[in-house]
Formats: sequence, C-alpha cells, structure tokens
Amino acid sequence: MLSMQTKNPGANARIVAFDLIAFVALAAAIALSAAVVLTAVVLLLAGRAEASPAGEEKQGALLLRTMEGKASASAPLLSTDVSFRVSGMVARARVVQTFHNASADWVEGVYVFPLPENAAVDRLQMRVGERLIESEIRERGAARQVFDQARASGQRTALMDQERPNIFTTRVANIGPQELIAVELEYQQSLRYDNGRYSLRFPMVVGPRYLPGNLRVSATEQLGWSLNTDQVLDAARITPPVLRPEAGPVNPVSIRVELDAGVPIAQVASPYHRVDIRSLSPSKRQIELAAGAVPANKDFELIWEPQGGSAPQVAWFTEHKDGRHYGLLMVLPPAAAPGTRLAREVVFVLDTSGSMAGASIRQAKDALELALARLAPGDRFNVIEFNSTAQTLFADAQPVNPRNVRRAADWVQSLQARGGTEMAAALRLALDGSDGGTRVRQVVFLTDGAVGNEDALFRLIRERLGDTRLFTIGIGSAPNSHFMSKAAQLGRGTFTYIGRIDEVQSKMGELFAKLESPVLKGLEVHWPQGVRAQAWPARIPDLYAGEPVVIAAALEQLEGEVRVSGMRDAKPWEARVPLALNGSGAGMGSLWARGKVEALIDSIREGAPEAEVRTQVIELATAHRLVTKYTSFVAVDRTPARPSDAQLKLAAVPTNLPEGWEYDKVFGELPQGATDSRYAMLTGVLMLLFAFSMLLAQRRRSFA
Amino acid sequence: MKPDLDLAWGAECAWPEGRAERPPARPWKYLALALLLTGILQFGHGAWIQAKAWLAQVLIAQAWSRTLNGEQRAKPWPWADTWPVARLIAPRLGTDLYVLAGADGSAIAFGPGHLSGTPVPGESGNSVIGGHRDTHLAFLRHVKQGDELLVERPDRTRVAYEVRDALVLDKRDVWVTKQEGPRRLTLVTCFPFDALRAGGPQRYVVFAFESKNRGGERGTRG
Repeated sequence: MLSMQTKNPGANARIVAFDLIAFVALAAAIALSAAVVLTAVVLLLAGRAEASPAGEEKQGALLLRTMEGKASASAPLLSTDVSFRVSGMVARARVVQTFHNASADWVEGVYVFPLPENAAVDRLQMRVGERLIESEIRERGAARQVFDQARASGQRTALMDQERPNIFTTRVANIGPQELIAVELEYQQSLRYDNGRYSLRFPMVVGPRYLPGNLRVSATEQLGWSLNTDQVLDAARITPPVLRPEAGPVNPVSIRVELDAGVPIAQVASPYHRVDIRSLSPSKRQIELAAGAVPANKDFELIWEPQGGSAPQVAWFTEHKDGRHYGLLMVLPPAAAPGTRLAREVVFVLDTSGSMAGASIRQAKDALELALARLAPGDRFNVIEFNSTAQTLFADAQPVNPRNVRRAADWVQSLQARGGTEMAAALRLALDGSDGGTRVRQVVFLTDGAVGNEDALFRLIRERLGDTRLFTIGIGSAPNSHFMSKAAQLGRGTFTYIGRIDEVQSKMGELFAKLESPVLKGLEVHWPQGVRAQAWPARIPDLYAGEPVVIAAALEQLEGEVRVSGMRDAKPWEARVPLALNGSGAGMGSLWARGKVEALIDSIREGAPEAEVRTQVIELATAHRLVTKYTSFVAVDRTPARPSDAQLKLAAVPTNLPEGWEYDKVFGELPQGATDSRYAMLTGVLMLLFAFSMLLAQRRRSFA
Repeated sequence: MKPDLDLAWGAECAWPEGRAERPPARPWKYLALALLLTGILQFGHGAWIQAKAWLAQVLIAQAWSRTLNGEQRAKPWPWADTWPVARLIAPRLGTDLYVLAGADGSAIAFGPGHLSGTPVPGESGNSVIGGHRDTHLAFLRHVKQGDELLVERPDRTRVAYEVRDALVLDKRDVWVTKQEGPRRLTLVTCFPFDALRAGGPQRYVVFAFESKNRGGERGTRG
C-alpha cells in the first residue's frame, strides 16, 4: 500500500510520526469533548423523559444465596405419590411423601413443598412400616412443642406447618438408618371452572423466591438458602436448598387421577406432562403419568371439558356434619351479549427479574406483544418493566397509534431478565392514583410471582387500587399461585396462567375476552327467609366472561330457594336454586371452613386485630381439623426408636430448580467488575492510526 | 524532496485535472474517513467511561458531605438512582472513594457499589462492595495483606479494617457474600486486571476484617 519511493526515508518517517502523534492527540481531544457533550445531553434526556426509575428502595439487588442451606449428604431421599378423586367440581387428594434415610445415621428430614393455594389440608397420618399413626391438630407452637419433646425422647414423629397458603413444611424426626417413614396427608379443594373447562392444578416445587429487605442473622437453626430479612421475617423457612440442574433431578412424583365429571366428558388434556388416559364411562376417566414418575420441577395440570350443552349451569352439593349442612354452590351466568367496547387505559407490567430468565421471559414477551397488537385506536397504554428497579416506557399513558405501539414492542423485545424482583416499586408506578378519566383503567401484570413478601404487596394493592382493575398472568412452569389469585382478587380482576409458549395465543385470547366484555357486578346472594346461613366469600367479586359464582355455605336447614342476583351492562340478572335439590358431596365442611379461615386472615389486612383473628382461626381450624398458619398437624409414634446415645442429624430435603429457569440468573453472580473502556480506547486509537496512515499514504502516492 | 513534502497537505488542490477522474482515489478516502470517524467515536466511548467514573466521584463527594450533615439518600445529581452509603479509604495507596448504593451496572459506573442485601459498610456482618477493575477498584491489585482500609459512615465515625486475604474466584462463587462471621468487607472486581474486554468469568476478591487491635469504631480524624 505504501508504494512511495523517497530518497530520505529517515526524515520522512520522522515527519509521518510527528503527524501521527499530532493527529491522534487532536482526534483524542475532539473525541473526548464531543463524547462528554453528547453523553451529557443523552443522559439528561434519558433521565428526564424516557425512564422514570422508582428509586425509592434499593435493596436485595440479586437473589443472593447467602447460605449454603443444610442439604447435606444425610438428607433423606424423598418421593411423592399423589392420588386424586375428582367428583364434579371438587377434588380430594391424598399426598404420600416417603422419607427414605439412605445413610447410616439417625436423621431428621425437613421438606418444604407447595400445594394448591386453596387446599384445605384436613388429615395427616404417619406410616412407620405397616403402622399408620393418626395426627392431632394443635396450635402451631404447641404442635412444635409436642414434636420437639418426641424428637428428644427418640420417638418417631412428624409435623406439618403452613408457611403460606400454598407453601407447607413437613418435618420427620428419628428416621433410623436405612428406614422409610411416610407422611400421608389429604386435602379437599374446589376446582377452577372457567370458559367451559375445569382445571385441576398440582404444584410440585417451591421455586426460589426473591426476598426484599436487609438480612437478619437468625439465632435459630438455618435450613433455607436465605437468611430472614426485615421484610420477609420467615425467609429461611420458604427457601429450601435448590440443586444445580447438573446435579440431576430429585424428588420423583407419581400422579393418579380418578375423574368423575358427573357429565359426559368431551376431552381431557394435560398440557405439561404426558399422561395415559383410560375411559371408564362417558363421564369417568382414569389418568396416570405416562412416565410413571416425574421430577418435582413444575406444575401438573389436568383440564377437561364437558360435552357441548351438558355442562351444568348450576350445581349445589351438600354434606351434613355435626348437625349442620355445609354446601358448595356454583352458578354460571349466561354468556354476555357482545356489548359496546369500552375505551380502555391499559398498563402492562412485565417482570424482568432473574427468575424470569429463560423460557418464562419468552412467554411473557410473546404474550405482551400479542396484547399490544390487540389495543384499539382510542385506547391509551403504557408499559412498566421491573427487576431491581422499575421503569416506565412513557412518562404517562400514551394514545394507541402505530408509532407508539411499534416503540413499545421494540422496547419490550430489548428487555433482559436479570436482577431482583422489587415488585412493590412496579406496583407503585402502576397504581399511581390515576383513574384513566372516562376510560376503564386496567393493569395487566405478567410475573412468576417469585417473591416472599406477598402480604406487603397485597396491602399495597388494596391501598392504592382505586378504580383500577388488576389482572395477573402467572408465567412459567411453577408460578406462585397464592400471589396470582390473591392479587387478582384484591385487584378486583382475574388471573390466568401461561406455562408454555404454545399456550400464549389461547390464554391471551381468553384474557382479552375478559378485559373487553362487560362485567357482572353487584352480585348478591339472598338466602331464603328463616334459613340462617353463613357464606364465603362474604362479598362476591365481580365476574368476568366465562366465570361462575362459587360460594361455600353453612346452613341450619335446607328449605326454600337461594337467589343470586347481579347487574351486567345495566341489565339485571338473577338465578334461583332450590336448596332441597342438592347432590351429596363429602368434604364440603372442610371447604367452608377453609373459606372462612381465608376471610378471617384477609380481615387482618383490613384492620382487624391479629390476636383476635388468631384465636378465631385456631378455634375454627381445631374444630374442622385444618392446617392453617396458626395450626399444625403433629403425629407421634409412642414407642421410642432411637437409642439415647445415637446422634440425630438434621437435614433439609433439596429441591429442583423449576423447569426452564436459569440457575445463575436466579441466584445471581458476583458483581461484574470491568468496563470495556480500555478496549474501546485501544481499538479507537488503532482505527485512528490506520485511517491516518491510509490518508497519508494517498497523499504520498500523489508525489511518487 | 523536502519542499514537496511540505506541500503534501495542499497537493490535492493542485492535482492536474485530467488525472483527477482516476477512480481509485475516492473509495480509499471514504473508507479512511469512515474509519477515522469510527475511531474517534470508539476512543471517545472508552474515554468517556473513564471520565464519567472520575467526574462522578466529585459530584458524589458533595452528596456525601450532605449525607454527613444528616440528609438521607443524598443524590449526587437530580436524576440519579443511587446515592453514597459510605466512604472507603486505603491510606497506604492514597485511595479515597465513595461507595454507592447498589452493585448493578448503572451504579458502579460512577463508583464502587454496595451489594444490596448485605449490611452497609461499617455495620456488623459481611458488607460486599463491587467495582470495576479498570476504574475505581484498580487499586485492589496493589493491596497487600495487612493493609489498612477505612470506612467512613454517615454518622462520621470510622471503622478500620485489615486486609487478610485475596482470592481469584469464579463469578458463581456467591458464597463470599455469606453473612456469618465477624464484621468485614468483601471487595469484588474482575480478574485479570490487564484483560482488555469486560465480561470474563473470573473475579478478584479481597477480604478485609475489622481490625481488633485498633478497637474498631473511632471518631472522625482529620
């Protein structure tokens, strides 16, 4: 390239070198001042218009695994066998957890596991060999005392506590070397009926949760991977040790469902697991996992659809127990006539925390993109993303036009999932007191709900909701169902789940129908004169398209007819159900009591004194033998087993990472500590040198 | 030849007309100009990272003096989403830095960042601080065992630490954020120090424990 010929190469080189140095120095000076000015401008603009970080709290940047967790080699192996009996809209489940101590020591095993958020756990037995030992329901502290005493005296003993409505702990002490002890628990549950389909959901793993707040060193035993924090006082109890995916799946689960739909079934599907389905009669099926057992790493769901027209519009099941009738009432209002479409202001909130990394964020982005495309001219919208901090796309909701929608879609696509889950910051931005003016204001919240401070968030939603409606979309393989359903209930909206990318289309379609159709409001239940009834929920939530009214009631007698009424699109709606026309169903008492416990605990959020509520819940739960946050099951085998000179080793049962999650994104990495500045400066200088020598070479060539 | 060379810059203007139509000169020129521009931008980008890192510390110093006077979460500039939580001094190396809230990328561009969820520097427990090996925490490569590190807290008291150990670890070694044990600082930066590009998996971690012989907390000096 440098093809010039000179007679004095030494002088030439000196001049070239001088030119180069001068030029580079000049370029550097220009570059630096230009960059300073430009970046200052960009920073100013970006700081003002584009992003408005919540910036109020800055805690828990990552989901830090601050503790090893006590998953040692001596942890018992755990396997679970679940059998369901489904009749109509109620399911009874029997969950058998087998603790197998494969070590040569005496072991105490602790297993933290999920159950459906509306499960009424009303029975627990401990199986030692051929013997079944029935448990007692006790106040939580008292149950723990019984357990501790039995453990100390070497007796085999089992304890079951509730940590959240959907997180429980079983603890089994004095499992001998090579011994098996099983905890067999049963629960009752009403099923979800929505858009003409029943669904039965069984969660299998408590995904790692984000715990906001500052760490507190707890004096007591540390079994979880997190210490307690000042915002999540029981963090250590809800963070079972999580195995790295390479360590292989643990905790096999087998599932068997005896399904009696009561009406002919059109189809049965299990979207997340392969199943074998045997048809016993038009209305009965037997379902088993095709693989026999699967690792406990995602929710199981079974969906069935009654044949067209055969689905009941009304169902009323009762049980007579202790001189009272307990009943479950379901009424499905007819589909709404397509009314005029209301103008809406929609705020989408997207969780971009580390737990969303992988399959979840792809599902969420797809869902959000679909929702953006569905917005109509005349609507307004905004998008909020949050991880360790929360940011809004626009400072205020913007009109729907191709440019804004395009911009939002591009922004959403560019987001990455990492960091913490400061959900409160996002909720504050979304529920900022604006009411959408004449528009219906809706917040659509896409998250896996992997947080430990649910109660604080619920309080925030309750306080700031105003006229806004909150809809939750549970994303991923193991969403926090307690958060999804309770947030939607307090937000006076509804919830849905997306567990796979191919569900996005259909699930979002159903949600759009709910968002766009008129709501059935002002629902009331009128019990017949003279019938003393106590029903839950006390206030019936507004109904969205495809949803039924479901009420659990306790009554003195079954006479007359109950009337359910409401208003939709300014037109009254009413249904009457004769109380004597009932089907009989076992376990309705548990469902009613479970509903009442939930209502009592909700009342704390509305200002009821906790001490009083606690007394009431303990009394109710003891009478109905229910596990609640204040009551636990404890079972003790009277015969001492462990010799007094043998040590007892405490170990937490490790759990799997939920399917599709990314371990390093969830548990964080050490902060990154380098910039590309030197690389950028070096490559910049090299480019300048090269460019300069090219220019110079050209000039020289002209004199050659 | 020398006079000719001196005219080199202006030579193009005097180019004979007939030969100016020769095509090869143009594409080279444009390529060179493009390269020149990219080089300027690229260099400016790198220089700006450095300039920002050190300019910000000046603004943060002012925010820190407001913090010492009782202001909570004093933001160094109005739209900042971080604020100084402590001052970190390495007397032997003459390093004086302000530690910001949060060890995420947006904070540590301006100063070493305190990893949220761990105790604030100076509190009991394990305070974790992250920072860039090529800006604020570049001094860590010169830190030796036994070096003194001082932390100034918002209440003007100072806590003295003594460097015990330094390890090269993997970014997944989050166990260094463990909380059990005595009051200490854990300083995390990238490794190797001379690597050109960011994003490597290795971390250089310095452990400094509260100096027992000095009695820990002391009043302000100097």
